Amino acid sequence: MSGLTARIERLFGVLIRLSTGERMLLSSAAVLVAVGVGMIVILGAGYAATCRSPALSVFGLEFCYNPIETYFVLLQGAFGDSFKLAVTLQWTTLLLFTGLSFAIPYKAGLFNIGAQGQFVLGSLATTIALLWAAEITPSGMLGRLVLVPVGLLAGGAIGGLYGLLPGYLKHRFEVNEVISTLLLNFIATAIAVVTVDRYFADPELQGTVSRSIPTEAVLSSQLFPSSANFSLLVFAFALLVLGGFYWLLTNSAIGYEIRTMGTQPKAARFGGVSERFTTLFSMTTAGVVAGVGGAVFIMMVLGRWQTGAPPVGFDGIAVSILAGNNPLALLPSGLLFGALQSGGQAIQFQLGIPSEIVGVLRGLIILLVATPELFRLFGTQLERRGLITVDGGRE
Amino acid sequence: MSVAVQLQGITKRFPGGVVANDDIDLEIEQGSVHVLLGENGAGKTTLMNVLYGLYEPTAGTVHINDEPVSFETPQDAITHGVGMIHQHFTLVDPMTMLENIALGWEPVRYGGLAVDTDAIETEIRDLSDRYGFDIAEHMHTPVEQLSVGAQQRVEVVKTLYRGADIFIFDEPTSVLTPQEADQLFDVFSELTAQGKTIIFISHKLDEVLAAADRITVLRDGRKIDTLDAEGATQDQLASKMVGRDVLLSADKQSVDRGEPLLSVADCSVDDDHGMRKVDGIDLTVHEGEIFGIAGVDGNGQTELVEAITGLRSQTAGTVSIRGTDVSERSRRERIEMGLSYIPGERQEQALVLDFSLTQNAVLGSQHHDQFRHGRGIDWAAVREHTDRIIETYDVRPPDPTANARSLSGGNQQKFVVGREFLRDPDLVIAAHPTRGVDVGSMEFIHEQLLALCEQGVAVLLVSASLDEVTSLSDRIGVMHDGSFVDVVKPESVTKDQLGLLMAGESLDREATARSQ
Repeated sequence: MSGLTARIERLFGVLIRLSTGERMLLSSAAVLVAVGVGMIVILGAGYAATCRSPALSVFGLEFCYNPIETYFVLLQGAFGDSFKLAVTLQWTTLLLFTGLSFAIPYKAGLFNIGAQGQFVLGSLATTIALLWAAEITPSGMLGRLVLVPVGLLAGGAIGGLYGLLPGYLKHRFEVNEVISTLLLNFIATAIAVVTVDRYFADPELQGTVSRSIPTEAVLSSQLFPSSANFSLLVFAFALLVLGGFYWLLTNSAIGYEIRTMGTQPKAARFGGVSERFTTLFSMTTAGVVAGVGGAVFIMMVLGRWQTGAPPVGFDGIAVSILAGNNPLALLPSGLLFGALQSGGQAIQFQLGIPSEIVGVLRGLIILLVATPELFRLFGTQLERRGLITVDGGRE
Repeated sequence: MSVAVQLQGITKRFPGGVVANDDIDLEIEQGSVHVLLGENGAGKTTLMNVLYGLYEPTAGTVHINDEPVSFETPQDAITHGVGMIHQHFTLVDPMTMLENIALGWEPVRYGGLAVDTDAIETEIRDLSDRYGFDIAEHMHTPVEQLSVGAQQRVEVVKTLYRGADIFIFDEPTSVLTPQEADQLFDVFSELTAQGKTIIFISHKLDEVLAAADRITVLRDGRKIDTLDAEGATQDQLASKMVGRDVLLSADKQSVDRGEPLLSVADCSVDDDHGMRKVDGIDLTVHEGEIFGIAGVDGNGQTELVEAITGLRSQTAGTVSIRGTDVSERSRRERIEMGLSYIPGERQEQALVLDFSLTQNAVLGSQHHDQFRHGRGIDWAAVREHTDRIIETYDVRPPDPTANARSLSGGNQQKFVVGREFLRDPDLVIAAHPTRGVDVGSMEFIHEQLLALCEQGVAVLLVSASLDEVTSLSDRIGVMHDGSFVDVVKPESVTKDQLGLLMAGESLDREATARSQ
């Protein structure tokens, strides 16, 4: 019993004290292990499935799916040609915004589970703003110069307000932000569906689909095929935002205050940090970032608002946790999720592997890569509360 | 008397070459109180962690009751009757006293389906009767609702419950009021009377002399001497600890006091539960003056200090700095007006434990121009400032990248004091500034406090140590139940008189009582 506890403490200790380089190595190793386990899953599923021509037969056993081919197709589907790479990066871009939307409040000790709602309302605001603004702006280059900022600002502003709301409730009435942000997601979707249905529906289409935004507001592709709906400029903008927030958190006084509040609220108050400011600021900023993500989704990907937004807000939480909530680490983390998204689709369509199995393969990679990070978070919390001592230390 | 613990040639070398214990021999008699005395970092705790099975010694042997032992975990130590009570308690706050005591050692019934709480309760009553602890009434109280002293007794009962014969106390009084410390020493007597052995880690000379039978002095990881407490003096012990002669009481020069700097008028403050803790306090501290507040902990000192520093709002009255009413000003604005604050709760308030010393050095000054570079914080300047704090206040290890958590309590305190004093303050509010620091550092902190005073800084000093208050202060306000019983000059009262004032009695009544 005691040996086990000691071993667990030691494990937490090792994980908590890992350097960045060691963590990256560990993550890479985890991907390899996940691929190994995934291959066994594919073999098993392929053995159980029935198909006309087996993809692999060994010692008289017939398998419907070839594990090596599967992962090859996954890689190809994610990075194989410029179109596929564009789809990967398109997902990555959206996840960078929503991931950041989780990471910033996390640094202030707040859990923003509401990126999805902020994303949805942001995308709705962008759509509405563009549909309205299109009527009074000229077409052509001038229109583009007006409409692109209008779209982004509208998404950011509404997303920001939708983040400010749970921040204010938390500060003023001590409403737990996990619950409020989670519930606000449903409200956001409901508001969006009703609004689009009633006022902005495209009369020629069935279902809850808005009219198309003006072409001047579309963030069109550069270097990549236009059908991929991926703009390198937007990607660069997202990277700039990441870098900006990294700088803000590590080097600015506000960032210092946010981190202090998130790490030890009592010490923050001692140091003259305003709890009100850090709470409202970080939640609003989170909403702005997610809302801009929603704007990008409309202006770069869809071109109109429609129901069934992808769960990028929720995936953003996983992306951020995997990145240890470090803005810079969001890039590799977001790339992994983006690649799994596009590569997963390729496996499904090219090899006919059921989407459930594809989900398992994606889940394995995320699970194995994220587990050490999750334990690190968990271990840090335990250590902070004094429930474990992970470092012998000196007197 | 037989020997309960024998350590022979214990050496503990940490990876990186730090030798915390260097060939230490130690014999501890059964039924005695043996003190390990030494400055922060002398190797006391490391030595006890070796005995308790937390560390494996690099060399040397441990004998318990003449039997050679080698503990791999604290569990092994406990089965051999060795229990340790840490400086920071290992209690689960929301759980009741009974649950805490039995945790991990629960007797079960119904074939292991349920915990036999009746058996635990009987056992605890039995133990507390035998040793005269008055804690049985709190059996079902969550420990977070108990006072610190009571929590410590819960730790003692927990250790007894696990069958310990040898008790290691790591700086047990650092969290206690003087009264609670006295109660703890009574507990020591009860325990030794029943044949238990006590090892007691400390760096406080007065309590060592009060509680110990024998004293072993450690310095820089080596054993300097073992001597009987009887006949030992504070000066003698201090010079063995530090390795040179130490000035135990501060040498105060009188400073001409200047303009009033801090004025508190008719100030009342409530605590978190809405209880009135400070009731109509008036006080003024002038430039170059040290105003001491003496009183038993919990008589409103914390709330008063928090109202002055801007961490708590007062329900009535005003706080003014240099004549400006700052009652409605934020904590940040007050810091910017030149207020430095050394809080009593250094680990919770004054330091972000998971931040490096460098990051901690800027806490409170994060908006100050001195540390601004463009739109961000000038980390290079902060780093230089950190080095200055570390060097001036002898913070060990002298590593600005070390996490605050990894420092010992005394070094954390030195760092906090250094940061607050080097901020170039006009007004210093110091609550227990030398709590937990060793004799050498205490001397230095006192010198610095007096030096600030000579530069015209106003100081409000709250301390549980009467020696500290009387030797440093120009005037002493004695606080009882939220108000000043009296404001006296330190040279005009004796310690006994101060003690009476702290209990809420007035001096003339005592004088008349004596004359009768």
